[in-house]
Amino acid sequence: MTVKWLMHWQPKPGTTLSTQILTEACQCVESIGGQKDGRWRSVLTFYKPMQRDALVPVDHPRDFLGLALQEQPAKYYFILRPNRIVLEADASIQVIMEKLQSYKARVTLNFEGFQYKLGDFQLRVGKCVPSASEALRGIMMEVEYIPLSSIDKSRQVLEEFFDIWQETISKKSLPGHFMHIESNFADYGLQDRYTSHHTAVQYATCMAQLIAAVRC
Amino acid sequence: MMIPAAGPVAASSQQNTQDPADTTAEAPPKQVATAMERLSRAARLIADVRIGADRLLEALFLAAESPYQSNKSIQLVLKEESAMRKHFQDLRSLGKQLEDSGVLNGSVKLRGNSWGLHMPLVCPDGAVVAYAWKRQLAGQAGASAVDRTRLALKAFTDQKRRFFPHLEDEAFTQCSEGELGVAKKPCFSHGLLPGHKDELREERTLPDIINSLQCIAPDIKIYTYQRLDWLKRASSLSSLPSDHLVDSSNEYGLQSSSNSTSVLGNAASISEDQVAVIELLSPSVFRAVVSLHPTGSMSPDAVAFFSTDEGGSYVHARGRSVFHVFWHVTEYADKALQYFQSTNVDTSLSLILVLLIPD
Repeated sequence: MTVKWLMHWQPKPGTTLSTQILTEACQCVESIGGQKDGRWRSVLTFYKPMQRDALVPVDHPRDFLGLALQEQPAKYYFILRPNRIVLEADASIQVIMEKLQSYKARVTLNFEGFQYKLGDFQLRVGKCVPSASEALRGIMMEVEYIPLSSIDKSRQVLEEFFDIWQETISKKSLPGHFMHIESNFADYGLQDRYTSHHTAVQYATCMAQLIAAVRC
Repeated sequence: MMIPAAGPVAASSQQNTQDPADTTAEAPPKQVATAMERLSRAARLIADVRIGADRLLEALFLAAESPYQSNKSIQLVLKEESAMRKHFQDLRSLGKQLEDSGVLNGSVKLRGNSWGLHMPLVCPDGAVVAYAWKRQLAGQAGASAVDRTRLALKAFTDQKRRFFPHLEDEAFTQCSEGELGVAKKPCFSHGLLPGHKDELREERTLPDIINSLQCIAPDIKIYTYQRLDWLKRASSLSSLPSDHLVDSSNEYGLQSSSNSTSVLGNAASISEDQVAVIELLSPSVFRAVVSLHPTGSMSPDAVAFFSTDEGGSYVHARGRSVFHVFWHVTEYADKALQYFQSTNVDTSLSLILVLLIPD
């Protein structure tokens, strides 16, 4: 397993997102020596509970996310942020949910972009677009350090990489910057050894920020 | 005289009629001799060009100083111009011949020359290597002379240090100490060394060393194997999804028996004199493999680092990790090991194992 850091693009207040930023970011990666390795795609779904009977007050969780990751095609991850729960299920759970009709997909976001190999690192740069429209909702980056699996031990390496990356991208004078938010993995009951559960938690943490950033 | 990188000579579109079949039909020694001769002709031509340039400058100065003799200087300039043009043409054709015969690049290797005798190579710094018999030399022939000397010296000192530690010179130990000091700072802890030196100087057995290591660093798991058992484990590592599914039958447990040949706590009964490989596993961080030679002794002869996810038959004390970071760490650990072996063979095992444990 590897250790991954998720970073999202925080635009300057008052500016809008554009695919130009994504292109510049990709160019930056290539300028520091990244080699394009293919495409990547993750799908995040916001679920809302289906109420059969409108009169009965329902105690279903509000912030219910489902995540399909490219590196785990046979799995599907559920995150309940208010309750701090992350769950790994088989990919067929989506079919079951559709049959049960207990939850309905409210919004589906596609994260897609390119994957780069950079020494012991793997980078992914991509845009966040809702499946319904073509509007650009956000720009995301995944930085993966492959040799280690311990979050604690790899922190320094990833921090230094993040510094180098910030330096490189700031030369392009784009309106905004990439941000990494620390997720509290211990809250979700996760260990120091990095797994796809951690990735799911990071996506959930990012979502709140991403949506807030685009709204204002 | 050394020929500088003959770039402008090779990059020429003008060519005189030249028969390339000549070179391939000759036997390699003749090819080499021809190439050497052409190189020296090229050197002479370049010298001629330089002299011609000087003469042109002279003519210009003459014209500037005494305008009345402009006719004479014009004649000089014209004469030099035609001479230079001829020199350049000769140089171009020579360059083409050299290029065809593969002197300026390694193209002759592609022709499957089975004699093993390669064409003279012109190195980036201008040195000309006449013969490159073996593959190693051919590879090194591309490097500059300084690099070649350094590589040879390093190889000889390494071998000497390994096989003849009793012949160690003062100069060598100081050299390796200096090397270790200026190397990039690895994330090892050196703080443990001074405090433990006294204990390490005593003669200790393998179980003692390993037990004390477990006390210092309880997070690190230490296993011992016979050589063949390690190979099996290494190959099975790639199929294991996580390093938690470790075969604990080889785990080193505290021994109640004071017998020096005590069984090391497993069903397979590895006795102390069969231990050939020591594995230090720091979960999710690294896996270090130390090999002992001869089997059962206390002298380590190689150490290597790998990621905990790596598996396969290349994971052994002389193997190379696919990750750059672990490869660098392996190189430094190797330097440290050689230093320890050169200073005190008895304590080198304890020292290297202590060094491997990060703080």
